[in-house]
Amino acid sequence: MGVRVPFKPTPVAMARNWSLTPIYWGLGLGLLGALLVLLGLAVGSTGLESLRPLWTGGGDDAAMARQIVWDIRLPRTLGAWAAGALLGLAGAVAQGLFRNPLADPYLLGSASGASLGVAAALALMGGAGGMLGASSTVAVVSVYSGHWLVRLGLTGAAFVGAVAAVLLTLVLARGVQHTLRLLLAGVVVGVVLGACTSLILLLSPDSLQAMQGFLLGSTGFVGWTSCLLLLGVWLPCLAAAWGLSRALDALALGEATAHSLGLPLAPLRAALVAVLALATGTAVAQTGLIAFVGLAAPHLVRAAVSVPHGRLMWLASLMGGALLAGADLLARGLLAPQELPVGVLTAVLGGGYLLWLMHRRTAPGGLL
Amino acid sequence: MTIKSVAIGAHQISAGAGKDCIFQGLSLQIAAGRWTSIVGPNGAGKSTLLKALAGLLPTRGGHVELLGRDLHAWPRRERARRLAWLGQNEAAAEDLTVYDVAMLGRLPHQGWMQPASGADHAAVEQALRATQAWDWRARALGALSGGERQRVLLARALAVQAQVLLMDKPLANLDPPHQADWLQLTRALVARGHTVVSVLHEISLALHADDMLIIDRGQLRHQGAAGAQATHRALEQVFSDRIAIHHVAGQWLALPRINV
Amino acid sequence: MKPTPVKRILIVVAVLLALLLLMWGTAQAQAVQVTDDRGRVVQLPRAPQRIVSLLPSLAETVCALDACARLVGVDRYTNWPAAVNPLPKVGGGLDPNIEAIVALRPDVVLMATSSRAADRLVALGIPVVALEPKTHADVQRVLGKVGQLLGVDDAQRVWRAIDAGVAAAAQSLPPAARGARVYFEVSPGPFGAGEASFIGETLTRLGTRNILPAKLGPFPKLNPEYVVRADPDLVMVGARSAQGLLSRPGWDRLRALRQGRLCQFSADESDVLIRPGPRMAEAARLMAACLQRHAPGGH
Repeated sequence: MGVRVPFKPTPVAMARNWSLTPIYWGLGLGLLGALLVLLGLAVGSTGLESLRPLWTGGGDDAAMARQIVWDIRLPRTLGAWAAGALLGLAGAVAQGLFRNPLADPYLLGSASGASLGVAAALALMGGAGGMLGASSTVAVVSVYSGHWLVRLGLTGAAFVGAVAAVLLTLVLARGVQHTLRLLLAGVVVGVVLGACTSLILLLSPDSLQAMQGFLLGSTGFVGWTSCLLLLGVWLPCLAAAWGLSRALDALALGEATAHSLGLPLAPLRAALVAVLALATGTAVAQTGLIAFVGLAAPHLVRAAVSVPHGRLMWLASLMGGALLAGADLLARGLLAPQELPVGVLTAVLGGGYLLWLMHRRTAPGGLL
Repeated sequence: MTIKSVAIGAHQISAGAGKDCIFQGLSLQIAAGRWTSIVGPNGAGKSTLLKALAGLLPTRGGHVELLGRDLHAWPRRERARRLAWLGQNEAAAEDLTVYDVAMLGRLPHQGWMQPASGADHAAVEQALRATQAWDWRARALGALSGGERQRVLLARALAVQAQVLLMDKPLANLDPPHQADWLQLTRALVARGHTVVSVLHEISLALHADDMLIIDRGQLRHQGAAGAQATHRALEQVFSDRIAIHHVAGQWLALPRINV
Repeated sequence: MKPTPVKRILIVVAVLLALLLLMWGTAQAQAVQVTDDRGRVVQLPRAPQRIVSLLPSLAETVCALDACARLVGVDRYTNWPAAVNPLPKVGGGLDPNIEAIVALRPDVVLMATSSRAADRLVALGIPVVALEPKTHADVQRVLGKVGQLLGVDDAQRVWRAIDAGVAAAAQSLPPAARGARVYFEVSPGPFGAGEASFIGETLTRLGTRNILPAKLGPFPKLNPEYVVRADPDLVMVGARSAQGLLSRPGWDRLRALRQGRLCQFSADESDVLIRPGPRMAEAARLMAACLQRHAPGGH
C-alpha cells in the first residue's frame, strides 16, 4: 500500500497521469468524517440512554433529548470536525509555504498571540482584585480602555490576538520576501508574546486556571454560531488554498525556479499567509490551542498517497477533520461522564498513527 | 567581436549577495541562436552572473536586456515564456510525480486556474522523452536517484519551450552517457534556433560550445569562440596554467597538468 | 340609597388600586431579578428550584441558606456539606460538562465570573448568575444576592453569624498573641494572602499584622526572598505548600521556622480556609487556634 498505481486502461489516461487513489482517499476520509459526526450524536455524558425518549415519545423528555442532540451534540461534533479541517488545511499551507515538514499552523506566532489576547481578556474580566491591587486597577482599566476587549469576549480576543501576532511577524520580517526571515520573525514574536502572556498571568493569578483550559484546547463550548462560523471560514480558505496550490508546487522547486516561471511571489506568499492566519485564528478562537492536528494531518496524508499541493489541501482538511472529530468523540466517550482534554487525545491518535506508519515503513515519497 | 543578434545583453551591471559586490560594471552580450558556456575558477561569480542575467538577482546599477527589451519591462509571464532557468540544488518537491514536475514548466503558458491543455501535454511528453524520463513518469521525485532527478528537472526546463535557456551546472550527478545526451540535446536546441547559456564545471564539455565566457574574480577575462586558440590560451591562463588543452579524437579536451 | 357619583368613582378607584397592589405584590413574590458580578441583570419568572453550582463557596452559601435540597448538580471540587456528595458532579468550574448541566434541567447555574461556559449556557437558554467573592464585603454582598435569588428572607443572618464567629475567635485570643506578624501561603508559587484578601481581612480582625501589604493585591505571587526579608513571626501554610518549605533558599534561617511557629493545615482545613463562603467563622477559629498555639507570647 502506498505505491501509486496509475489508472491503466486507456493510453490517454496513462499519458495524462490520472490516478484514482487520491480520490478514493478523499471519499474515504469524507465518509469517515460523516460517520464520526453521526457517532458523536450518540456519545456524550448522558450516553445513548438520554436519546431513547426521541422514539418512545414523552413530551418533556423528548424535548430534552432533542435539545441534547440538536443544540449540544450536533454543533459540537460538527464544530470539532470543522476546526480540525481548518487546522489540517492551515498545516498543509504552512508546510508548503515554508517548505519545511515540521511547520505547523502556529508558526507565525498565532498561538502566542491568541494566548495573549485571552490572558488580557481574562485579566480585565477578572475585575478589581485581578491586576496590580485594588487601588491601581481602576487606572489600569481606564488607561487601556480595556472594555472593548471584554465586550469582544474570549473568542474575539483570541482571534484578534492571533491575527495581530501574524501582522506583527510580517512587520518584523519586513514583508514576505524571505521565507527564512519570516520563520525567524515568527519564532521571535511567539517567544516575546509568550513572555508577555506569562507576565499578565503573574499579575492576575486568578486567570491561571482558565488559561490552562484554553491552552489545552476544548471543543465543549462550540454551539451553532461557532460551528457555522468555522464551516463558513473553512470553505473560502479551502478555495483560496486550492487556487494557490500550483504556486506552492512551483515553490517546492525552489524560489529561483518559481520566480523564473513568472510567478508573482510576494502577492502569492502574502495571500498564503493571510489564509494561514485566518484559518488558524478562527480555529484557535473557538476551540483553544489544539496541538498536533495541523502538524500531523498533512503527514498522514502524504504517508498514504503522494499528491501535489492541490489535492493535499483537500485531503489534509478531511484528515484533520476526521482526526479532531475522532478525538472529540473519544474525549467524551472514553471516561463518560467525565471528559478528557481533547488536545491530549489528538496527540495520542495522531502520534500513534504516525508511529504505526513509520513502523511499516511505507514511503511512496513522503517524509517517512 | 560583432554579434548578429543579441539574446541577452548586460550593460554595466553590478550584483552580489548581501553587502558584497561580486562583480561591478560588467558588460557583455550573449549571441542569439548559439550555445555560450560560462567557465571560470570556483568563486568567480559565474552563478551570480547567470542569476543576474535571468533577472533572479537584483542588479545595482546598469541594466539587462532580453531579446532587445529591458528585462524589467517584460511582463512577468511573457518573460517566463521566453526565458527558462535551471538552477542548482533547489528542488525539495519530494511528493510530486515526474510528470507533475515537468508539467510545472508549462506554468507560464497556463492561465490562473486553467487545466493543462493538449499543447501542454504534448510539450511535457516531448521534454520527458528528450531526457529519457518518459518511462517512469508516474514515480515520485523523492524516489529517484540524483541523476534521474536532474534529468527530470532538465525536462521541466525544456517543457517551457523558451527561446532562451539558462542552466546553472546542469550536469550535476549525471553519468557520462547522460552527459553526452545533454550535449546532443543542447546542440539540437541550438540547431532549432534556441539560445543556450550554461555555467559548467566540466571544461571539456564546455569546450563543445559555440562561444565561451571566461569569468575570474568578478571580471570578464575573455569572450570568444570556444574553438579559437586565443580562448584556449585565456582558459589556461585563468586556471594558472594548471590545465592544458589538447585536441584528442576530434574534440578539445582540458586535462590537468600534473607535475611528475 | 344609591351611592353618589363621587362615592361610586372613589369605590372604583379603590378597587382598582387594590387589584393593582395585589398584582404587584404577587408579581414581586414570584419574579426574581438579580444583577450578577458581570453586571448583567438576570430575570427569572420565580425563585429557582433546581440549581447547579460550579463554585464550591457558592454551593456552601446555598446550603447555609437552607436551600441545599434545591441543588441538583455541583462541580467536582464541592465537598461540603455531606448532603452534596451524592449529587452528580458536572466537571470543574472552568471546564464544566455542558451536556450534563443541560440534562439536569436547572433553573439557574451559579458560577464564577471568568468562564466561557457562561456564554454557552446562556445561548442554550439556561440563566447564569456569575458571582465571585474576594473580600469580606464581597461575601456579604454575595450572600445578599444568593438570598435574593433564592427568595430567602433574611440572608444576612448568615453574615451576622459569620461576623459573630470571627469576633468571638478574635476575642478568644489572649492579648499577648496580638500584633504577631503573619505570613499566610495559599498555594505553591508561592502565592500569599495579602491584606486585601478575605483571608487577610480575617487575620486583621484577629489582631495580627500581615507581612503582605494591601498594595500588593489580594493574592500576589511572591519572590520567596521577600518572605525571608520580611521575617514573619508566624507562618501558615496549606497542605499543598507544606512540602519543601525548608528547601527554599534562605528559608531555613526564618525565625518562624526555626522556632517551630509553623501551622500546617490539612486538606480539609485548607478547604475551609480558602473558600470565601459561610464557613469563614470556622476558618477564623482555625486561624485563632493556630495563633494560640504558636504565636510569640501566646503561651
